[in-house]
Amino acid sequence: MRPFKFTQAADAGSAVQAVSFNAGAKFIAGGSNLLDLMKEGVENPTELVDITRLNLTQIKSAGGGVSIGALAKNTDTANHPLIRQDYPLLTQAILAGASAQIRNMATNGGNLLQRTRCSYFYDVAMQCNKREPGTGCAAIGGINRNHAIFGASDKCIAVNPSDMSVALAALDAVVKVRGADGKERSIPFTDFHRLPGDAPEKDNNLQHGELITSIELPKSNFASHSYYLKVRDRASYAFALVSVAAALELSGGKIKQARIAMGGVAHKPWRATEAEKVLIGKAATEENFKAAADAAMKSAKPLEYNKFKIELGKRAIVLALRRATGKA
Amino acid sequence: MAFEENDVALDADQQMTADEEALLDELGIFGESRRKFLGQLGGVGLGALVLQVLAEEKALAFSDSETAYVAPAVENPVTVSFTVNGAKKSLELDSRMTLLDALRERLGLTGSKKGCDHGQCGACTVIIDGRRVLACLTLTAQCEAKSVTTIEGIAKGTDLHAIQTAFIKHDAFQCGFCTPGQICSAVALMQEAKNGEASYLTANVRQKTGALQLSDDEIRERMSGNLCRCGAYPNIVAAIREAHTGKATDPMAISQMEVHDATV
Amino acid sequence: MASDTKVIGEAISRIDGLLKVTGAANYGMDWPIRNVAYAFIVKSTIAAGTITDIDTAAAEKSPGVIAVITHKNATKVVAYDPMRGIGILQDNKINFYGQNVAVLVAETFEQARAAARSIKVSYQNADSKTDFEKCVAEAVRPANRNDAVRGDFDAAFNAAEHKVDATYSTPIEHHHPMEPHSAIAVWEGDNLTLYSATQVVGGVQRGVATAFGLKPEQVHIISPHVGGGFGSKGGAWTNVILAAMAAKVVNRPVKLAVTRQNMFNSVGLRQQNRQHLRVAATAEGKLSALGHDTTQFTTTTNEFAESCGILATMMYEVPNSRVGYKSAAMNVIAPTFQRGPGESTGSFALESAIDEMAYALKMDPVEFRIKNEPPKDLSNNKPWSSRATVECLKRGAEMIGWKNRKPEPRQNRNGDNLVGYGVASGSYPSRQSPTSTLLKLARKGDDVTASVELAASDIGTGAHTIIAQTAAETLGLPMSKVAVKIGDSALPPAAGSVGSIGAASFCNSVADACNQAKTELQAKTDRKWLIAPTVAQLMDAASLNEYQTRVDAKAPADAAKYSSHAFNANFSEVWVNELTGMVRVHRHVAVTGAGRIMNAKTARSQVIGGCVWGIGMALTEESIMDPRWGNFITRSFADYHIPANLDVGTIDVAFIPEEDQFVNKLGIKGIGEVGIVGVAAAIANAVFNATGKRVRDLPITPDKLL
Ligand SMILES: Cc1cc2nc3c(=O)[nH]c(=O)nc-3n(C[C@H](O)[C@H](O)[C@H](O)COP(=O)(O)OP(=O)(O)OC[C@H]3O[C@@H](n4cnc5c(N)ncnc54)[C@H](O)[C@@H]3O)c2cc1C
Ligand code: SF4
Ligand code: FES
Ligand code: FES
Repeated sequence: MRPFKFTQAADAGSAVQAVSFNAGAKFIAGGSNLLDLMKEGVENPTELVDITRLNLTQIKSAGGGVSIGALAKNTDTANHPLIRQDYPLLTQAILAGASAQIRNMATNGGNLLQRTRCSYFYDVAMQCNKREPGTGCAAIGGINRNHAIFGASDKCIAVNPSDMSVALAALDAVVKVRGADGKERSIPFTDFHRLPGDAPEKDNNLQHGELITSIELPKSNFASHSYYLKVRDRASYAFALVSVAAALELSGGKIKQARIAMGGVAHKPWRATEAEKVLIGKAATEENFKAAADAAMKSAKPLEYNKFKIELGKRAIVLALRRATGKA
Repeated sequence: MAFEENDVALDADQQMTADEEALLDELGIFGESRRKFLGQLGGVGLGALVLQVLAEEKALAFSDSETAYVAPAVENPVTVSFTVNGAKKSLELDSRMTLLDALRERLGLTGSKKGCDHGQCGACTVIIDGRRVLACLTLTAQCEAKSVTTIEGIAKGTDLHAIQTAFIKHDAFQCGFCTPGQICSAVALMQEAKNGEASYLTANVRQKTGALQLSDDEIRERMSGNLCRCGAYPNIVAAIREAHTGKATDPMAISQMEVHDATV
Repeated sequence: MASDTKVIGEAISRIDGLLKVTGAANYGMDWPIRNVAYAFIVKSTIAAGTITDIDTAAAEKSPGVIAVITHKNATKVVAYDPMRGIGILQDNKINFYGQNVAVLVAETFEQARAAARSIKVSYQNADSKTDFEKCVAEAVRPANRNDAVRGDFDAAFNAAEHKVDATYSTPIEHHHPMEPHSAIAVWEGDNLTLYSATQVVGGVQRGVATAFGLKPEQVHIISPHVGGGFGSKGGAWTNVILAAMAAKVVNRPVKLAVTRQNMFNSVGLRQQNRQHLRVAATAEGKLSALGHDTTQFTTTTNEFAESCGILATMMYEVPNSRVGYKSAAMNVIAPTFQRGPGESTGSFALESAIDEMAYALKMDPVEFRIKNEPPKDLSNNKPWSSRATVECLKRGAEMIGWKNRKPEPRQNRNGDNLVGYGVASGSYPSRQSPTSTLLKLARKGDDVTASVELAASDIGTGAHTIIAQTAAETLGLPMSKVAVKIGDSALPPAAGSVGSIGAASFCNSVADACNQAKTELQAKTDRKWLIAPTVAQLMDAASLNEYQTRVDAKAPADAAKYSSHAFNANFSEVWVNELTGMVRVHRHVAVTGAGRIMNAKTARSQVIGGCVWGIGMALTEESIMDPRWGNFITRSFADYHIPANLDVGTIDVAFIPEEDQFVNKLGIKGIGEVGIVGVAAAIANAVFNATGKRVRDLPITPDKLL
């Protein structure tokens, strides 16, 4: 860890100012991702602005949906009665991630901004375009079992590790951010994270110094038919090989609305819109689930070591849909 | 072999050696609490304890702890005032110093362990303001005005926490290195269960609940953030189950076939 | 009261338990030493070649830095150990990725770690061997290893009607004790004290003394509690030498802990194995031929081979067998002993192949094993000192509910899960190694206390407790009157906690010391006794308030006439999610015949630990090297998956009562190592029974079951 100046932010405005006008500054929330990366030498901020004491921790009903403070802890979010009742998918996704201790530290904003677990990114001795643009990507041609099957580029094939984000993508959340000018802007969740393209150093579309203030969940009709499934190499406390957030609105035996998002497969939480299309208007049957799973995986482009993710992804979608509809 | 509460009953009235007497006096354990303390040891003699405490602790303990500590010059000093195990502490330290290092290197509280320093093992688990967190990923600078409980503060004086006695009884550790983290984690877990907090294994998170009665798999999932390389997991679960339910079980029992509820 | 002192074998809680549940037990880095400086190690980023330049200027100027030590300015030390001693900064050669190239000392840990990043190393690359797939082609038979041959394997195998011919792979695994290797080094003149957790107190003392040209007694190792070792804390690895060197250079105490990331290339590993098994049997289920050929790698500087094939030489009655090894040198840190070295990985291959054979013959795998039970050790023709394999198999089958198993795969289900049962047997040799004990007795009236002192170690096995039990029972004292002092090189030399020799070596020595004290005390008085006297009476009769004696114990001379092993059987019930391929060990049963069990509680825990290790081997653990550079890409605890709590279902443990009169005086066989043997095979066999998929390549991650 390089030496850094530690600043306690008194309010959101001064926090944004402090970071916006110092290219080397970063916000620190729970610190559970940032400090890990700083110890590795991957992140090297010269100033940390502590935002944990900002008044951005509320979770409240808003506009038919729910507004979740960016600084609310993952644990408190997952257990909030409004979330448990109306967005159980989000509760499950958060609880599928990390460990109880880390969820007690992790904030919602920090969770969205956690960086990839690509092990070449983590090891500063390795080439990595995301860590050091232009140095190359060690994972391409390397051991890429944990890497992307959708939307990768020839610069970066990393995946986003957040579980929470997969549920938020499925739920069509909106991220509210505040910039140096003091204004707030809203970013639809599917536009929040980026594909790597030519600039894998950018995980998302935030500007330097922009502060996430809240995450807005629109009204949801999915509460009674949703499931977050996480497949991993160990039963708990491990990142996803593949995960699926499935949410259905059923009406008269038919699927009225469908949402499927996947984790562990792309540089951003991956909405499987083709699969959703297949399901809408159909009955919630195993056959239709399989057809949706096939559609979801059609455009997948596997790498040398992650071909299994296609079959695993299909099966995970089927199982998540089964469980969402109470069939397993 | 029949199982009894304190597997080999310790005769609390038995004669103690002078060393043992001295140690208990030193620890301020007298009268009734001395009996209770001995009972908690679950039949363990004080012999080795005395020898080790005398040899390991006293011979080398900082007599003047942080007061005599001369902080080396650091570039971004921060001053942090917080409470550790009920005592007010104020430290000037490098802004980079994690809570784990501050506890271990500055406050002499070496019970919290550094198993990985990256949030990947749980050995550094402490309780801050009632919640279990990882001290290795917490900056001390962020702890201003917070209240930290470490393994050294889990027992109330000489009264071991129910989790601690259950850990001894169920042999919920081998090398013991993960144990401080496991115990802090388990203590907080009991509160989380009382609060009705959900886990990934909770069958229906929408169902409103009061205090929870956790299944073994629920305990396993909720304790999965504490790795144990010795593999004491089944005993850790048994110890927590006993403290959680208040029902004493035989640490040597062979299980009945139980049905697991994991939908992993 | 005599009944009070019958404590050997009882399920007594650990006497070090209180220290461990209150955070008071001191491990390597926990000692409150004044005025310490903090060291941090810099590692090479190439696998083979030479260092052409190290630029330390920036690091030296970095705040708080006291010294930067590289091969250019390092203290000259002797290369003390070809396995553990590569990377003590004596020259510019690099033999593996992640070899130590510099150590930096600063006022604080943060300063040391930060400055370490600014050290720039330039290298000249040499050809490196970092691709196992390529290296196996060049593997040759190690010089010191002839094939173990019985009968005519080739003829018997070729002629056989029923055969299995399969290759099994196990990956590199790392020990990863929860306590990373560390040392606090304190010099006083030419005397060095090292607070450093180790399995072998004397081993570290000797290694360090050799390195620095000191007499062993000039090096004092303090290690009362060891946060796990599993083979990796068997001797002085480079981190200990570098800590001592750094302390010498900066002339003050130095703390140095290996980071978890650096544990991958600092303290050994279990090498990758490829095992070719050929099994033949008659239609009646009698084994006729068994071939076990292991190909593995070792490091370029040291020959180390796990004896994967050892079980094939002695587990079954098979007239024709051949067991051989090939090894390839690679630019990787030295492989070393890891829990059940040889037997654990070897049993995965052997016991999987036996399962495959039983399945091919349509025989129950338990019966098949019993049918091929050998009457003696066919590898050396010695009689067994005792062997409980059949009892273990029978008892285990009962405990797991073997009758619920369906012989054909995919016949048992529970919801989304396919349920399967598997079995494997195993063994591990038993030995007693030389160990000395100093016994001190003190008496006040009728009250006698004992202090038992030996340089043993407790790595979580419960050594403190079983030593106390042995002394208490032998002396007829209550447990609370026995103090145990171990983990200190100033005490009489003892065996290490390695190779399952600890319990037998420590306890036999302690019992000898206690018996010797009684005999010696008796000799000091001519008083006669109607009933056996207490130690207090003896001391009283001899008019002594203090007495001490010492023994140097070793294995009984006759022990070598027998083949002595602990034997076990593992049974596993797994649930495999049919869609995701995630495997859960729902219930596991381990039955062991390990001679006398010194403490039913700690013994059970050790076996449970072995099962959890086996679960890791079977399902989650794999160190992956990038063949391009020789670096581990699984370089953290987030990437190297040791089992988490939820990975482990119910584990039931039973011991077959055994009174082995030949193995050693107390009849102790040891359990730490045998506990892992066969576990992975039982799980893999259960996965086959559940799914019909035979996974021969560990670990069984979800992708392998799709
Ligand atoms: C061992 C381990 C296992 C884990 N497993 C999982 C898992 O399985 N699934 C999963 O989803 N996650 C997992 N995590 C990641 C964990 O969820 C994240 O570390 C956590 O959510 C980050 O939140 P934080 O508040 O601690 O963020 P910090 O570490 O404080 O910050 C992360 C980043 O976000 C920025 N930031 C934080 N808040 C804001 C804000 N409001 N506005 C703008 N920028 C902000 C910071 O500047 C920093 O760059 C794991 C972590 C660890 C250490
Ligand atoms: S995949 Fe992306 S993060 Fe990983 S090494 Fe390549 S560029 Fe870096
Ligand atoms: S030391 Fe903090 S989680 Fe491992
Ligand atoms: S008891 Fe050794 S790591 Fe848990």
